[in-house]
Amino acid sequence: MRDYLLFYVNGREHKVTGEHVFLPLSSYLRYVVGATGTKVVCEEGDCGACSILLGEVQGDDITYRTVNSCIQMLYQVDGLHIITIEGLKDQGRLNPVQDAMVACHGAQCGYCTPGFVVAMCGLFDGKQPACIKEIKDALTGNLCRCTGYVSIIESGLEVATENIKSLRELYPSEPIRKELTAATSQEVELSAGNKRVYIPLTVEQAVRFKAANSSAIIISGGTDVCVNMNKRDYDPAIMMSFCRLEGQRDIVLDEAGKTLLVGGTATLTKLEEFARDNVPELHHLLWLFGSPQIRNAGTLSGNIANASPIADTPPFLFIMDAELELTGSGGTRRVCITKFYTGYKQFDLKSDEIITRILIPLPVATDLVKLYKVSKRKHLDISSFTAALRISLEGNTIAKAAVCYGGVGPVILRMYRTEEFLQGKPFSIETFSKAGEVAIAEITPISDVRGSKEFRNQLARNILLKFFHETRQSRREPACLP
Amino acid sequence: MSAVGKNLPHDSAQGHVSGESIYIDDIPPMRGELLVDFYYVPVSHARVKNVDLSAAWQVAGIVGLYTYKDIPGHNMFGPITADEVLLVEEEIEFMGQPLVIIAAENAAAIKKAKKAIKVDYEKLDAILTIDEAKACQSFIGPVRRIKRGSPVEAFLEAEHVIEGTFRNEGQDHFYLESQAAIVYPGECDQLVIHSSTQAPSEIQDVVAHLLGLKMSQVVCITKRMGGGFGGKESQGAHPAAMAALVALKTKRATRIVYNKDHDMQVTGKRHPFQNDYKVAFSSDGRISALRIELFSDGGAANDLSSAVMARAMCHSDNAYFIPHIEVSGTVCKTHFPPNTAFRGFGGPQGVATIENIIEEIAAYLNKDSLEIRKLNLYGTKDRNVTPYGQFIQENSLPEIVEQLEQSSDYRQRQEEIQRFNSESLTHLKGLGISLVKFGISFNTKFLNQGNALVNIYLDGTVQVSTGATEMGQGVNTNIKQLVAGEFDIDAEDVIVMATSTEKNNNTSATAASSATDLNGNAALNACKAIKQRLAPVAASHLASREIDMLPSPTTIVFENNEVYDYRRPGTRMTFKELVRKGYLERVSMGERGFYATDGIDFTWEAGPEKVASGNPFLYFTTGGAVCEVTIDRFTGETKVDRADILMDIGTPINPGIARGQIIGGFVQGLGWVTTEDLRYDEDGLLLSHSPTTYKIPNIQDTPPVLNVSWLDRPCAVNVKGSKAVGEPPLLLGISVWVAVKNALRHAAGTERIPELNLPATNEEVVMRLAEIDRDLPGNRSRKTLAGLSSSPAPGDESPKEEALPLEVPV
Repeated sequence: MRDYLLFYVNGREHKVTGEHVFLPLSSYLRYVVGATGTKVVCEEGDCGACSILLGEVQGDDITYRTVNSCIQMLYQVDGLHIITIEGLKDQGRLNPVQDAMVACHGAQCGYCTPGFVVAMCGLFDGKQPACIKEIKDALTGNLCRCTGYVSIIESGLEVATENIKSLRELYPSEPIRKELTAATSQEVELSAGNKRVYIPLTVEQAVRFKAANSSAIIISGGTDVCVNMNKRDYDPAIMMSFCRLEGQRDIVLDEAGKTLLVGGTATLTKLEEFARDNVPELHHLLWLFGSPQIRNAGTLSGNIANASPIADTPPFLFIMDAELELTGSGGTRRVCITKFYTGYKQFDLKSDEIITRILIPLPVATDLVKLYKVSKRKHLDISSFTAALRISLEGNTIAKAAVCYGGVGPVILRMYRTEEFLQGKPFSIETFSKAGEVAIAEITPISDVRGSKEFRNQLARNILLKFFHETRQSRREPACLP
Repeated sequence: MSAVGKNLPHDSAQGHVSGESIYIDDIPPMRGELLVDFYYVPVSHARVKNVDLSAAWQVAGIVGLYTYKDIPGHNMFGPITADEVLLVEEEIEFMGQPLVIIAAENAAAIKKAKKAIKVDYEKLDAILTIDEAKACQSFIGPVRRIKRGSPVEAFLEAEHVIEGTFRNEGQDHFYLESQAAIVYPGECDQLVIHSSTQAPSEIQDVVAHLLGLKMSQVVCITKRMGGGFGGKESQGAHPAAMAALVALKTKRATRIVYNKDHDMQVTGKRHPFQNDYKVAFSSDGRISALRIELFSDGGAANDLSSAVMARAMCHSDNAYFIPHIEVSGTVCKTHFPPNTAFRGFGGPQGVATIENIIEEIAAYLNKDSLEIRKLNLYGTKDRNVTPYGQFIQENSLPEIVEQLEQSSDYRQRQEEIQRFNSESLTHLKGLGISLVKFGISFNTKFLNQGNALVNIYLDGTVQVSTGATEMGQGVNTNIKQLVAGEFDIDAEDVIVMATSTEKNNNTSATAASSATDLNGNAALNACKAIKQRLAPVAASHLASREIDMLPSPTTIVFENNEVYDYRRPGTRMTFKELVRKGYLERVSMGERGFYATDGIDFTWEAGPEKVASGNPFLYFTTGGAVCEVTIDRFTGETKVDRADILMDIGTPINPGIARGQIIGGFVQGLGWVTTEDLRYDEDGLLLSHSPTTYKIPNIQDTPPVLNVSWLDRPCAVNVKGSKAVGEPPLLLGISVWVAVKNALRHAAGTERIPELNLPATNEEVVMRLAEIDRDLPGNRSRKTLAGLSSSPAPGDESPKEEALPLEVPV
């Protein structure tokens, strides 16, 4: 058992104990280390000003991803290598990304700029030029209020990629990897004041700790929990960080190739990559989900366990009748997602259980599947309303329908009455128009900051018509590849 | 090789991209430094009965708790009228109004103390809408007017009259660096304040006034801001004053840094307006008379509201000549945080109103709105005097409209959009154009002055200090280029220093887009004075007895880092050599320059009518934008597909910086009119107070096609032919809103004028489309949702095999 955190910052080792362990990484960098280049604006992962690169040992190498350091608590970065804006110059000289940002007026007030430079250095780490779409997609998690972004995109297009030194060249992996691997072969437990954190290596260790400490909060990606800590006075005493949990990161297809098996700590980025070829609709949805920084940290199981009625992924899981594999001291059991939620932020998970896998049956070639996320801003926004629809037809008749809405009540709702109405009806505009009336009777939306009750009711109708028009056009294109 | 006109990088760019630029909270803490914050009661309007601080005093780490009784000078202040208290006395007038200043050793103690403060209060009725304020006559200042001709008679003679009300909501500045200040106490009650402010002199004045100090005891320094946009013109004063009070009381350094939620909750915003209008026009669309009653939500105190209203009134004509016009402006007093300056300063609210009126006229007459705009455009030979009597010199609007119509393929695209909308079942397109004519200069005459300090050092390098503050807009880079250009030396040899009231006194806020105009001119005046002193030194050095060339200061030329007498250009000395010589000959190489704008005057009549007239502006910055949007009929999702922007910004001092201002301003305006949605609960609590719920444009919202250009035409009256460019492009974002309204017009058909509030959020669009659907006859149009659902044509129930309608890939 190790009783300190160990990680690297810009190639230098940091060992941390005491109350600093419970700080957000951004606060540690700014106020403990004094590296103030990393800026903090929103403290909730919604602006990207605090972006840093997180390097993780994978095999013989260290791979880097961009994350928001304001919602990474220090105990989430144990065993990792952090590169900040201060660590990106090459021998005291601006790197090609920085040069391009200077030359193209990519910075005005400069406050968001370190975050943009970090995210861009992540994008260009492979030394390949990027097209406009790739640049925009890589920078979706970074807000700028001055430039209108055009000059930043132009900077991205102007980067002299041939002169880029990769992060591995700037920080040779081997010595860091060796140190980190040696030190992180042990679990970590440490405490300060009334707070305690445990970092298990295996599921068995995690379950054992959870059984002994039922109030322990699991922190995997932390993209929701840490926002509550920063913003809503959420102050749990016992935390279990899954940053080193082994064997839970992978996403694979089962042997029959029909079911997706998603590990408990698999990131949404990984799922997004996996879905690219297997479930294009899911891939599109994940493209709209949060930002690269959020998806690089957040997990599918976290999106499920956060139990928000406007979570983006569950509607898809609902219409596919996905199962959750829950592991506790008594072993493993499976629950269908449609039965998992029992009330607002309530679910069927025992105090010693953790979500270890999500099993998602994939759409078959004849399914018409569409996923919808309606939000005030298209990207990097929390939904006002979500919907997932899956229809299979026999001739022109709807043989089976699965409809799920989010943002229309305290829990994500499988719309059984609407489904029942649709089944056996002709696939027509009239059917979907009338189904809208059934749907409205089934939901109980409220008015809040993300939209009025009336708006949500209107969307509940409109989305069925949208589905009709979109699938009508693509009926001969399967929703997934065979 | 003049540095003026060159596309040089921003002078802080290298620091920005490497994280080395210093903002307030990046300054390392001083020994013994205290954190300062404040407590407020989350209520919009209440009478305070008792404040109990006893439990808060018990919190470990608390060093000071201060109420209004602890303020040594005055509690009342305000940038225009002193009608605002720093700390609540008996009446809480808005949610977020400071009641207790808290000073502590650490943040945890502040958090605990806030929970330990007990306030006993009686809730009072709060005014939270303009209508409520109008009903109880709750106004700030008098109603003021701009008037020309005889609108009453013109309305009687009119062919057509439309009346209506136009609403626009507020906008949060969302500068990334929230309000912040650090204060260092000095000897003899002197204070040095580092503030993220657009107005260091104002901070100095407010702090001295509140704390009962002499202004000479207070220095305010601003290195840079992480964005300002007007939000730090007056409202940086509150945090600075609170930190200063604690520093004065405790003799310890103090730091106050708002977090984003706090900042958004307690500071003022762009003013919401609700404007009643009545317009008369002929059948071809020419406006004969217009009456607009502007009502703004000023919040609980004036702040800059009356000045914002003045600008809104002066921009209610925008680009259009209106022979008979009456504009009135009333600032409503409500129980919100005092609304304040925001890029455009009332201009956007005035312009959006008249642009909406143009759209309504076009819809009413079933004409293209560009036609209406052209018909009413300010002319060059006649129809070129504003309602307040200012003659529009060098009017470039006709040229802009003509060029933009061509370069944007306006006509052809309008036809394509018509076709698209008649075919698409899923999406709607709209094309919109809006114009801007933005008056440059502060409406308030005395603010149009600036001063600058130019120091040359022995190696020939130069430091410049002015009253301008750098918030990313590049004013320092512009001034650096102006100074380098004046001596014709390398721009790298000129540094613009942090703004400080110790070097530049009684300066105006960096506002009204005019920081470069005022401070750049002042810096040039300083440079010219130094050159005048150095010229004789150069003249005697370059004179030659052999060829009988007597020293002649008037023929000395500064060029390309060198100095020569143009009578003998072959003999030169370097600028550095001249500086060294000048020093040895005891010539002063520091100078303070001053500039005051000539020829402007604008007054409100003293009588009861309060009619204004005069020439408030030195010149106008003009422009236009054509925007195309695609709307998802079902979700209201709106994408800007293309924007074409053409402006008259003179010849920019730095084209890259000017372009950055145009695009950045446009996108900020785009945000105001689409996704930026301030939502409050019924008690006045702001619900959208962080980027999770308040949505400024994202990189994905940038139009995929954005063509930006400007006329190549120097401005005759401003520094080096340039024009101010900070605010005007924001108003071109209104073209996006116009495009959405245009799309709704396509959906509504010709029978009705669709209503649309600003911002046109996805919700607003969905609800407006639903409204249109409900009102339309069932089979009138396949374009609408209800049309499809209520009466499908026989045989239309199942999809056909024929070519599918044009749809837009999601």
